[in-house]
This record gives sequence, C-alpha cells and structure tokens, in this order.
Amino acid sequence: MELDLDESSLAIGRIERALSRIEKALGDRANRPAPAVAAPAADQSALKAEVAAVIGELDRLIAEADRG
Amino acid sequence: MADVKLTIAGRPYDVHCADGEESQLIHLASVVDEKVRTMPGGTEVRQLLFAALMLADEAQEARGKVEKAEPQSDSLRAAVALAESREAAARDELKAAIAREQAALKELQAARDAAPTAPATVNPTHNRALMQIADRIETLATKVEQLP
Repeated sequence: MELDLDESSLAIGRIERALSRIEKALGDRANRPAPAVAAPAADQSALKAEVAAVIGELDRLIAEADRG
Repeated sequence: MADVKLTIAGRPYDVHCADGEESQLIHLASVVDEKVRTMPGGTEVRQLLFAALMLADEAQEARGKVEKAEPQSDSLRAAVALAESREAAARDELKAAIAREQAALKELQAARDAAPTAPATVNPTHNRALMQIADRIETLATKVEQLP
C-alpha cells in the first residue's frame, strides 16, 4: 500500500512539473513577437478541448476523493 | 556558674552569672557605669537611682518604637506570603503548561507513527487516474512547448 502512496506522490510531482512547463512555455510565448505562421485553428481547438477534458477529469477525481 | 568582678561608679561588685554570659554582663555593667558617670553630683545612691531611671526611660522608648514598627513588619510578612503564594501558583501554571505541551507532542508523535499504517484511505483507482492525468498533462505541455 505504501507503493500506492508513492504512486500518487509521483503522479502529483509529474503534474506539477508539467504545469510548470506549460506556464513557462506560455510565458515565453507571450514575451516573444507574434509568429509569421500561426498554429492551425483545428490544432488550437483540439488543444483547448484536451485542456478542458483534463481539468474535468481532475475535478471528478477531486470530488471522488472528497467523498472518500 | 561564673564569677565576674564589675566596677560601677567606682565601686567593685562580685556577681555570679551563667557560664558564657560573662562578656555580656561586663558589657551591661559598662553601660550602667557610663550612664552613672553622666549623672550630676550627689550621693552614689542618688547617681545610681537617676542612672536606673534614665535607662528605664530609654528601655520604654525603645519598646514603644518596636511596637510601632510591628504593624509594618506584619504588612511586610503579609506581602512576602502573598508573593510566595503567587510564585507557587505561577510555578503550578508553568508545570501544567509543560504537561500540556508534552501531551500534545506525544499526540503528534503518535499521529506521525500511525500515518504510514493508515493505508485504508488510499484508493488505487485514484492513483491510476492521477497517473493518467499526469500522462495527459505532460503530453499537453509538450504540445504547448511546440506551438509556433
């Protein structure tokens, strides 16, 4: 069971590091001049949909954990 | 018993006293002798009478001063007693606080010891879900980093 605890800690650590990477990438992007070629609209929509889906999954997990 | 030879107003006297009290008796005789010498002329008996009266007056005056001072010393004694009782109360409070601290520390230690042995709250399904979310967010991070 301690392995389970370690797994959750590991997962949370990975999530925190990935969020930092996203934060840094978005910060860098905001500070540099606008690119000549923008990302295709379909890619941007897919990205937004994935972000929304992950947030939804996290919310569901938190609600489940709260209920015990 | 000890024999002491005293001289008061020029006349010698043989006096007995308890062993060890000789020097005190000699000192008292010197006080009387000094007082007699300050008395104006007249007969030896008259000088001794006045010396005795003067010494009695001084003794009474000293007694009056002691009686006046007694209430003050009573107040001091009461203040000391109050301070002692306050100190005792403070010491008791301190002991109680230390006991509470130790109890809290024990509770904390017990909780810390018990923490690793409480796996019932861990849900393996949640762990798997968390791992999957970590995978998805890492993929998202890579995609965001590759945005033009």
